[in-house]
Amino acid sequence: MDKGPANPEIKEKVLQYLDTVEKAKSKDIAKAIGEEKGAVDLAVKELSMEDKVEYLYITTTFVALKGKVGAPA
Amino acid sequence: MEEERKTPRLDELERGPWPSFVTEIKRAAVKSEAADDLLGLLEKSYEDKVGHWKHGGIVGVKGYGGGVIGRYTDMPEEFPHLREFHTMRLNQPSGWFYTSEALRKICDIWEKHGSGLTNFHGSTGDVILLGTTTSELQPTFDEFSDAGFDLGGSGSDLRSPSCCVGPGRCEFACYDTLDMCFDLTNEYQDELHRPMWPYKFKIKMSGCANDCVAAIARADLSVIGTWRDCIRIDQDEVKAYAAGGLDIQTAVCDKCPTRALHFNARSGELSVDGEDCSRCMHCVNVMTKAIRQGREKGATLLIGAKSTIVKSAFLSWVVVPFMKLESPYTEFKELLSRIWDWWDENGKTRERIGELIYRVGMGEFLRAVGLPPVPQMVFRPRANPYVFWPEDEIVKQEQQAAPPESGQE
Amino acid sequence: MAKTDKGPPDYRQFLPPIIKENYGKWKYHEHVKPGVLKHVGETGELYSIRVGSPRLVSVDFIRDICDLADEFCDGHLRFTSRNNIEFLTPDQAKVDPLIEACRAKGLPVGGTGKAMSNIVHTQGWIHCHTPATDASGIVKAVMDDLFEYFTRDDLPNKLTVAMACCLNMCGAVHCSDIAILGVHRTVPRINHDIIRKGTEIPSLVACCPTAAIRPDPKNKSVSLHNARCMYCGNCYTMSPGMEIMDAANDGIAILVGGKVSNARSAPSFSRMVIPFLPNNPPRWPETTEAVRHIVEIWVRQARKGERVGEWIERIGWERFFTLADIPFSDKLIDDYVFSRETYRTTAAFKY
Repeated sequence: MDKGPANPEIKEKVLQYLDTVEKAKSKDIAKAIGEEKGAVDLAVKELSMEDKVEYLYITTTFVALKGKVGAPA
Repeated sequence: MEEERKTPRLDELERGPWPSFVTEIKRAAVKSEAADDLLGLLEKSYEDKVGHWKHGGIVGVKGYGGGVIGRYTDMPEEFPHLREFHTMRLNQPSGWFYTSEALRKICDIWEKHGSGLTNFHGSTGDVILLGTTTSELQPTFDEFSDAGFDLGGSGSDLRSPSCCVGPGRCEFACYDTLDMCFDLTNEYQDELHRPMWPYKFKIKMSGCANDCVAAIARADLSVIGTWRDCIRIDQDEVKAYAAGGLDIQTAVCDKCPTRALHFNARSGELSVDGEDCSRCMHCVNVMTKAIRQGREKGATLLIGAKSTIVKSAFLSWVVVPFMKLESPYTEFKELLSRIWDWWDENGKTRERIGELIYRVGMGEFLRAVGLPPVPQMVFRPRANPYVFWPEDEIVKQEQQAAPPESGQE
Repeated sequence: MAKTDKGPPDYRQFLPPIIKENYGKWKYHEHVKPGVLKHVGETGELYSIRVGSPRLVSVDFIRDICDLADEFCDGHLRFTSRNNIEFLTPDQAKVDPLIEACRAKGLPVGGTGKAMSNIVHTQGWIHCHTPATDASGIVKAVMDDLFEYFTRDDLPNKLTVAMACCLNMCGAVHCSDIAILGVHRTVPRINHDIIRKGTEIPSLVACCPTAAIRPDPKNKSVSLHNARCMYCGNCYTMSPGMEIMDAANDGIAILVGGKVSNARSAPSFSRMVIPFLPNNPPRWPETTEAVRHIVEIWVRQARKGERVGEWIERIGWERFFTLADIPFSDKLIDDYVFSRETYRTTAAFKY
């Protein structure tokens, strides 16, 4: 299902927010930056394609800036 | 010179008639140092009776959040080739049909990039490729993608949908499970590859109530084939079964859960009270040549199954008794998108949809996604009087006459 | 970079001609003999030869079965939901030679109809991070022990056995005729050093399903309300500082009587009949003995057509414990959230 391109402003806001936390669920990112969850999901998708963010699965899936969370100690 | 690895405990599991996974690890170990280390690590577990794996970290391929699961051993000094030993999930073809050519392709690519160990298949349905390093993930994916394969789901996403063999090889299939599984998997690539939900979501499609993929026990959305009209009986074939020695009264009629079937031993005819039949499949299973399902076929949709963690295991609950399922499955997809939106909006982190419905109430769910309540949804109605009445169904205070004065202070 | 979101390969390219011709038009099927199904369609017959696999296999194993598929089935095969292989051919003359070739390679033919099918299972010590036991090893030991039940099809009904190495139950064992389940019995041991070093405390607290983990700010770590913990091991996933595995106390529980099919009776959960058996690698004799014992009583006592759970529900669980001579204890009486419906509320019962 093609959802079209993401809003570049929202992408920027997502990156700014993720800079302030270790990791977050996209629902919480949406709440924090005051945007719709679907738009945030789309922004995260494009940012992950651009290698700027990554998905992190520990008991549930989070989103984090690329390289911010390493392998377990 | 390196000593040959000794695995006396594992060697015990090469005995016996059932094919041995230890033999398989040893075969892989001939070509893969990681597989050889795995033998050593597993022998260690057999010695000290605990596992030696850690989970976590970001591992994946560009643009995907699902399909790869990070694994690291807690004994990297002793077993350096297991320092990183990640799992990749390859999305299986519908019904797990293959040609040897396709399987050989998977083998060649995996042998080049990973341990050469696999599961055909994991519990959810994917081909599981066991063990590769972080730096090999992207090249492995790239080569699989070029060869016509893609990753399945993992994490808080849509897990790879799976289905039974369906019309490919079964006369009981009430809809095209293979096509629907393929269609949904392609439609929801974003949901499969980019985890965006509170937790995982599984869809499993069984063509009939025999439920060969255990949809009712394992899938957040269980699609189970059924029919609306009456079973069809071929009396000549009934007579053939009787002549062949089948005790129709005992093996079929007495086991019918609603006692809807009647066998007249004198005439040799079998009849059914259509309204009493609950479409459980028992008689169709036993007398496949003589009893066929009805003509009006589709599926029952049930929601919420999951395993034990957290609030006990749930079996799925009926939410749509009957839906016709034909490509492009528009009615189904529209309902699914309402269900996902409601769950995404209301679910707590790591709350499966069944747990959310149990927390807020089935009535709340049905109203939110616009499904009409029908008696097929329950075994029996409630026994308590604690109904939460919606405001628009009660008479408001200001509309009432003034209450009578109480007689005493 | 390779293309993303291609989706799985189209199954239609893998279907043999006999299936394409009879797709959705199958008339009936027969159980020819153990391990062999015959499906009859409008243009002919399809023979499926079912073969057990250990699930954890090398690529060379897959190549072996590809060789068999090439020699006997024009390269066509599939897998079942219980990790069996099915070779597919329209040619009856190929069936017996194929079975012979499978036997020569040590591949068991069976698992169809009223037989014990392959045990679905999880990763265990091979690859899981919270296992209470191994999975592949126990499966191998049980399948060796019950091998005859895979290769004959005259049991009361089909028999599904499943194995999960902890209560996360990745294998969804909870609706099986017989479930072998790894259980932890002790709370995680908190390693404060590891938690201080690299654990995000709020996530660790949040991951506990029963809110047994609480922040301990003074210590920059967490504390545990022991009585609330039900040993699921989720916290170990969040932090390796929550050591859940306990060699002396981890082991196996046995649950029986579940099913997923709707035939005759509603799908149902497996119920616990043995709360604990020790981890005794490499061949887990206590577990294989317990499973064999239950299977043998069912085969002897059940009426034709009864699954394990249907048989037990007919005779009564109280009667099952007598017949099976399995000790009953308070550990088998539910005290979790949905316990009430399991207490007997009638004065009618057996001994």
